[in-house]
Amino acid sequence: MTSHTDAIDARDLANLGQVRDLFAHADPVPGDLAERIKFAITVEALHAEVAELMDSALLVTRGTDAKVEPTPTDSVTFTAASVSLMVSAGPDDSDDTDDRVRVDGWVTVPGAQVEAVTTEGSSSVVSDANGRFVLDDLPHGPVHFVVTDPGNEDMRPVITPTIQI
Amino acid sequence: MTPTPTASDGLGTLAGKAFAAYRAGERERLSELVDLVTPVLWNAARSQGGAPATCEDAIQTAFLQLVDRAESINEPAAVLGWLVVVVKREVWRLARGSRREFGVEEVPEAPAQQLDPEAQSILSERQRVLWKHVSTLSPRCQELLRVIAFADRPDYAAIAQSLGMPVGSIGPTRGRCLQKLRTTLGSDPGWAV
Repeated sequence: MTSHTDAIDARDLANLGQVRDLFAHADPVPGDLAERIKFAITVEALHAEVAELMDSALLVTRGTDAKVEPTPTDSVTFTAASVSLMVSAGPDDSDDTDDRVRVDGWVTVPGAQVEAVTTEGSSSVVSDANGRFVLDDLPHGPVHFVVTDPGNEDMRPVITPTIQI
Repeated sequence: MTPTPTASDGLGTLAGKAFAAYRAGERERLSELVDLVTPVLWNAARSQGGAPATCEDAIQTAFLQLVDRAESINEPAAVLGWLVVVVKREVWRLARGSRREFGVEEVPEAPAQQLDPEAQSILSERQRVLWKHVSTLSPRCQELLRVIAFADRPDYAAIAQSLGMPVGSIGPTRGRCLQKLRTTLGSDPGWAV
């Protein structure tokens, strides 16, 4: 006979493993829950303004129907009260394998810092006098952008919803 | 320096390390914390009987409170338990409507676990047998076993406490809930294959 005062043994751990499988199977964690939590945390931590996605020509479709002709890349526009941001993604020229992505963008604030947050971390760049910027060597997958203006303390950071590149 | 995999590196320990690193300025470690503990928190929330959307909101709120109060949390190592407490309280607060706040001690006990008919229809034969046995346990045991099943052995005692169970209800000893599960499964000839 076993008692509740015995130490937990391998059989108990196996039983718990089965309980875990049962609930993981019957009531799984929503697939995007962790990503949505991280996004909410970022917005909160930055006291950021969330930009709206204006143009729903999402980049998700790229790559699957590649023709011989280089197809024009889709572009996406985000708008917030203080800034608008347009980005378009295409293959990175420095790499033949199509594994990496280059993002060409334009932001209404010259000298703004644009940070791309991807699954690999983040990389940032400062827009030129015309508001243009290039972020290259990005991975495929989800990305969101954070725009800050180092020259303007009053501007709240602006964060975009996540898109696929 | 060869740590034994089960001894100290339970989920709670890993979560505590990630949170401590975040507080020390490694901002990106918070993502690691979210990935680590979201399954436990989801099951802690769902075991209260909250609707999926309510549970998602409760978990998100708990993390936002954590970020907000990061500096004032006394024991970064106990962050998993802290989150479980807040999630459980939030589910009840949201389920009851925001008419009034109430403290941890007023949080009602979890109901018996429910699975949607759809969810039940996708269970394997063995899972169906297990579900039948789990359903015979007391609601408190069902809640406890469901939540700790998503953590590691060193975390059981702390999680049980966060769920409002008496100290000693589980870990390092088996405790009554695990013993009951073992007995009921052991008595089923259809289980012991």
